[in-house]
Amino acid sequence: MIPALTITNYGLDYVTAAGAVAVLREVSLEIAPGEVLGLVGESGSGKSSLAWALMRHLPANAREISGSLRLGDIDLQTLGPKRLTEVRGRRIGMVFQDPSTALNPTLTIGRQITEALMRHREVNARDANALAIELLGHVELRDPAAILRRYPHEISGGEKQRVIIATAFGCRPDVILFDEPTTALDVITGARIIELFARLRAETGVAALYISHDLAMMTSVADRVAVIRHGRVVEQAKASEIFRKPQHDYTKSLIAAVPRPERRLVHDTPGSALLLEAKGIDVHYGRAGLFRAAPPPATKAVDVDIRAGEIVGLVGESGSGKSSMARALTGLARFSGDIRFDGRTLRGAGDMNPAYRRDVQIVFQHPDSSLNPRHRIGEILSRPLKLYGGDTASVPRLLEQVRLPASYATRWPHQLSGGEKQRVAIARAFAARPRLVICDEITAPLDVSVQAQIIELLLALRAETGAAYLFITHDLNLIRQIAHRIVVMRHGQLVDSRAVDAFGADDVHPYTRELMAASPAPVG
Amino acid sequence: MTELLVRMIRKPQGAIGIMLLAVLAAICILGPWVAPYGPEKMDFLGRFRAPGWQNWLGADQFGRDVLSRLLTGARATVPMALAATLAGSAMGAVLGVASAYLGGKADEFIMRTNDAVMAIPGLLMALLLVSTLGNGAGNAVVAIAIAFAPGMARVTRSVALGVRNQDFVKAAVARGEGAAQIVFREMLPNVMGPIVIEATIRVSFAVMLFATLSFLGLGAQPPASEWGLMVADARQYMHRAPWILIAPSAAIALSAIAFNLVGDALRDALNPRDDR
Repeated sequence: MIPALTITNYGLDYVTAAGAVAVLREVSLEIAPGEVLGLVGESGSGKSSLAWALMRHLPANAREISGSLRLGDIDLQTLGPKRLTEVRGRRIGMVFQDPSTALNPTLTIGRQITEALMRHREVNARDANALAIELLGHVELRDPAAILRRYPHEISGGEKQRVIIATAFGCRPDVILFDEPTTALDVITGARIIELFARLRAETGVAALYISHDLAMMTSVADRVAVIRHGRVVEQAKASEIFRKPQHDYTKSLIAAVPRPERRLVHDTPGSALLLEAKGIDVHYGRAGLFRAAPPPATKAVDVDIRAGEIVGLVGESGSGKSSMARALTGLARFSGDIRFDGRTLRGAGDMNPAYRRDVQIVFQHPDSSLNPRHRIGEILSRPLKLYGGDTASVPRLLEQVRLPASYATRWPHQLSGGEKQRVAIARAFAARPRLVICDEITAPLDVSVQAQIIELLLALRAETGAAYLFITHDLNLIRQIAHRIVVMRHGQLVDSRAVDAFGADDVHPYTRELMAASPAPVG
Repeated sequence: MTELLVRMIRKPQGAIGIMLLAVLAAICILGPWVAPYGPEKMDFLGRFRAPGWQNWLGADQFGRDVLSRLLTGARATVPMALAATLAGSAMGAVLGVASAYLGGKADEFIMRTNDAVMAIPGLLMALLLVSTLGNGAGNAVVAIAIAFAPGMARVTRSVALGVRNQDFVKAAVARGEGAAQIVFREMLPNVMGPIVIEATIRVSFAVMLFATLSFLGLGAQPPASEWGLMVADARQYMHRAPWILIAPSAAIALSAIAFNLVGDALRDALNPRDDR
């Protein structure tokens, strides 16, 4: 039997001004018909480049230096532009990471699906429409006929991804490439997309290459898993085995870095003194205009309290208002309600005096945008020191505190990796010697191994300084490892608040239960 | 910096632009010394002398050497245009960034005032200002700078709005930094790219605007050898001695083209996506 997809000894370079950069080396993979191969790697490992090489859509500076790519009996590398358009979509489909950019915003959903169907299934417009309705019904979208008439911005991210999946499956390809299809989605939405994927593949028997950085998810998705690092496949094994008996050291380190709720990293209990008490916080964005009313508040009467030295987890889907809480507490968003801190009651950002600003620091999600690209690291770190009365000579000490060499002070942010940048952002927060640090999804853009190091660093800093954390995240497994107490938010409201060891109790809110069920169960 | 220069020179347009600018700079610095005659030295035997070995670009109605006047006049034209653009860009940039940072009502107030000023055409605005301030090269510079500022403010504000939403600005706000600190240190350095590009393109407008003002008798005053003034003077002898007109016109056009080419090259070189 011919494999559905064969990659033999494939090598790829990107030619840059600084010379050729090796992206993929000696990659050999095979996918049998009906098989799902999971490809796991951290960012920069070359996994997406492999997908684009298979789709024959490489950037102009890419050079294929060795090997072959075969789809069934077709040699992909020798296809001309005309043959290529026949193969793409029809024989090999692709589902992208970010559904919000994968659909054309100026065309209706119907146009985009029927166009692909008419092209690849050779049906007329009327049949294509009927087929599209059937396909959308099949991916569990309610009222498919209405969705066909809508534009991409009128449906949610999860629905968009379903539309894309329906289109990919609808053209009946031999192989579908999935490039991190759930990364941009919420935990619960992502879990449903994975369920859908499992059902569709059981029905259609399509072969798939499933690319992801998320090891824990692979067991429920793939038959076999290949681990890729620096463009080389280091290990391939059955999905059920690779987590139980990893052979390569790199795979072992990846598995060790996956957060598991039962492995607690924090063992102390916080003091009983209240540090910050927020009561009835409504966060407002925008103001009423001449002809329009003010938009509804992003959070509704949320109460949060944090004790000295406590780690409080704030969990929820995107749009649940958890980042709005962070903005309110740091005075970045307008809010109503009371914040009690240090015996003072604050009723707005105007009440936040320098002492409060110093005591409450925030670390943002994206280190790329939270460090000014035109300032050197030393300058970035010396700002809070100047502002809050510190000695700028302590910059090397700050860098050392976050385990970075002192020589980094003269570097520019773009010369650092994502994890290093996040360390600088953490150092900047701790330069103020704060009592509360708000971490807004700070590990979300990072790889699991880097995430584990950042968490370790945060816990070490807490042991050193006694700072409390408000840790905002959507990763329930991670937060259950470190938090003392977890607060769950949904649609701007607080739905659950409990100590972490009471998370298995029977009286948890149904939404919390749903979140726990959707968090991929760690394996092994 | 050197890498930027290399990227700019890689395309022929950029290389030509930079070459022309280098020549222009050399003329501005060395012009009076390399000029064969004094710019105001009259020679009544050589009135309207056609271009030849005595006067390479011919002589004007007083027998003054056109080439010498051009070489000397560069100093009165190009640095003025540069100064006007720099002043106008700086004003506009600060206004634009401050407007984007302040937001809300302050933003509305600044930008609507800005729109009102922008509604008046640049030349008309400059004319108005010069006639209020009085004739003269210095006042022309001020007038051009003020005429340029609103357009620059618009461009800067649109870039700064993007920067305003970056987390490093939010971090500075959350830290409790002052407005001046945020505008000048956090935001301004990050909008410099588009400002520099916009400014280089505007220099060519300034050269022409300055020449126009002098042409209308509101900028440099005779007997200065400013290029626009030279064109104005030569107008009446256009049929008798076209070279008096052609030489300064060509000089104005060439320097405008040079700045334009460099602006375009800079825009391409600063855009890392344009890596071909």
